[in-house]
Amino acid sequence: MKYRLFVVGLILAVGSAMAFLGIRGVSAQTTLTDQQRDLIRANCITIKNTLNQLNASDALLRVNRGQVYESMGSKLMDRFNSRLDGRNLDSRGVVSVTGSYRSSLQDFRANYITYERQLTATLRIDCTTDPDSFHASLLSAREKRALVHEDVNRLHQFIDDYRNAAADFRLNFERVSGENNR
Amino acid sequence: MMDDGTTPSAEHEKPNFVQRHRIGFLVAAAVVISLISVTVSLAIYNLSGSAQLDLSRPGFQAVSDQVARTNTIDEYSGSGNVTLETIDEFLKLYDEQAAKAKAVDAFNGDPLNPEVLEFSTVASQ
Repeated sequence: MKYRLFVVGLILAVGSAMAFLGIRGVSAQTTLTDQQRDLIRANCITIKNTLNQLNASDALLRVNRGQVYESMGSKLMDRFNSRLDGRNLDSRGVVSVTGSYRSSLQDFRANYITYERQLTATLRIDCTTDPDSFHASLLSAREKRALVHEDVNRLHQFIDDYRNAAADFRLNFERVSGENNR
Repeated sequence: MMDDGTTPSAEHEKPNFVQRHRIGFLVAAAVVISLISVTVSLAIYNLSGSAQLDLSRPGFQAVSDQVARTNTIDEYSGSGNVTLETIDEFLKLYDEQAAKAKAVDAFNGDPLNPEVLEFSTVASQ
């Protein structure tokens, strides 16, 4: 009983310490020095211009890449899966990868929306009067943009995975059709 | 008892407030319904994520003409025989299209890095 209490106490202590350090870490990240505040105030217009340009170029990227990723799913993966399914062939491998690809595409869409909203919110903050909030909001947008990039990497990985699954299907198909022809 | 028959007809002849301003009420109701419709439409536009893809918004016109109007990914037929030849045909097409899809490492880099954006000497100039 004492041992259990000791373990529970230890977990709580470690958890509290980690939470405390985590909060300190975040606050340390968002705390600005006076010099940094002055720099943000002085460069406010330049920073906002850069952010506006980034917002526009990222929106264009989202539209164009989103179209390509959507087409990879609908014009190639779904079509090939449908052809295999129509012939009652074992398409589980490619169908499974297609499902994961679709899920990542959903994440890409959702994470981009979150990122765009955060960047727009950052642009609404007056960096001359409130550089701290502006900086914190910018850091949040930066993290969200990194998530979108991770989604893109994941989509590229699933594109490769689908290719491998289709190649595996081909090998299996060749083996089975060879056996049937004997 | 004789007056009971005459009083309602007298009231009927005199229209009440709503009846006297029914055109005004009609216009006001139309305006309220329009406002509700616009509010709901804008809420759907913003919540659905359509706003984030709308390049006709102010500030996005500069890039709106750079949207790819034609889809660059070629299509594979979803029906037909499955033979080694058709599978190879698909793999060849897939490789070509996958190369297009992976050609751009979208959202790479770190343009929102505060060290570059806020505190660099370039920004301070």
